[in-house]
Amino acid sequence: MKMLLKDSVYDVVVVGAGPGGSMASYYASKNGAKTLLIEKSQEIGEPVRCAEAVPKLDEFNISPSKEFVKSYIKGGYLIAPNGKRIEVKGGKTEGYVVERKIFDKYLAMRSAKVGTKIAVKSRVVGLHHDGNLFNVKVSHLGEEYTVKAKVVIVADGVESSVAEMAGLKSKKNPKEVCSCAEYEMTNVKLLDNSMMEFYFGDICPKGYAWIFPKGDTANVGLGVISNNKKAIDYLNEFIEHPILEGRLKNATPVEFKCGGAPVGGPIKKTVDDGIMVVGDAAGQISPISGGGIYLAMSCGSIAGEVAGRSIKYGDYSKEVLMEYENRWKEKYYNILMNELKYRRILQKFNEKELNALADAMDNMLDEIDVKKIAYRAVKRAPSLLKYFKDII
Amino acid sequence: MKVNYEKCGYCGACVGVCNCMALELIENRIVIHNEKCNNCKSCIIVCPLNALEE
Repeated sequence: MKMLLKDSVYDVVVVGAGPGGSMASYYASKNGAKTLLIEKSQEIGEPVRCAEAVPKLDEFNISPSKEFVKSYIKGGYLIAPNGKRIEVKGGKTEGYVVERKIFDKYLAMRSAKVGTKIAVKSRVVGLHHDGNLFNVKVSHLGEEYTVKAKVVIVADGVESSVAEMAGLKSKKNPKEVCSCAEYEMTNVKLLDNSMMEFYFGDICPKGYAWIFPKGDTANVGLGVISNNKKAIDYLNEFIEHPILEGRLKNATPVEFKCGGAPVGGPIKKTVDDGIMVVGDAAGQISPISGGGIYLAMSCGSIAGEVAGRSIKYGDYSKEVLMEYENRWKEKYYNILMNELKYRRILQKFNEKELNALADAMDNMLDEIDVKKIAYRAVKRAPSLLKYFKDII
Repeated sequence: MKVNYEKCGYCGACVGVCNCMALELIENRIVIHNEKCNNCKSCIIVCPLNALEE
């Protein structure tokens, strides 16, 4: 691996081998760029910080291999504090729960197959643009190397340090980061082994708790924004909560996971001369669900393609790389900003209002159409109008 | 700022909110550069496990 790092010059260096980084490097390599993917951990996919649910992957030409798919998901139950269940099926709610440790490695190997070189246990400790190229300082086994790159794609996840080194503001507001804790448990009695469960209310202020089927196990976790108690405290209360009707009575953890989900919407600037930011680092994560794998993969794909082409043109200035920002914004910006608006409204609901909202909704929905739900909720429970007046 | 390594789950949430770049996650160890810390306590707020202490 020293050979990959020593006095090397690459067209594209991608920082972080999560789904965003692996997709970016895949498309950079596929478009002919000499590409290095740098992962700071000694193992790609570790540690897992996530509930591991992914929507369908057809768009990426990735077939749902048994290797990493643990459960097929048809939809989910939204569960109000009073226990009312709303079944949502089809559309965007369909997908898989994957084993991230295997899925992330699979995506990295997929990228390696088209020519990407990968350096693991290699941490970026400095980033400096010399006017022409980026000097990427990498620490590997106690030694420092400088790798040169025409284009750097930053996909370093929630930590978001590397873009900051290049002067792009990627650090997040702590009030807009969901604090998550999760037990992966076995012997869980699920409502349905192809349905995700989402719980709202005081059990998890400003967020939600979840139970996701995962083969022989289930991910039981929550994401919360609270000054009173820590995510772990809420989680330990949740697993004993009466709303679960004793379905976790015989369950036992086989893994503990925790993490932060930056749900405050995208960062302002995701492109500069020779650099692009993707995934959690760029705030490309659903402000309502906290899901980020699909967005990271999609935006990463665009970044990789734009990087590859910029190398062909021999121009990797901000103006050329701006195509990445324009394209991802065209696809997702309005969706993310709307979701942000909806989350800020939902956060204000007390349990009584959440129950009223749930009671105003049908027992079965085919897709989450917030406008439609808001309209119907207000029609049946006019007291909710004060929250929804900006939406309807 | 101090890390209680007995409690830390090395998830990096604290690193993501540290505007001063005073925190770093190296493998499974949070490292604090106290000379850069401005004591904003953002890291304490987001930590899922209460692993950061003043």
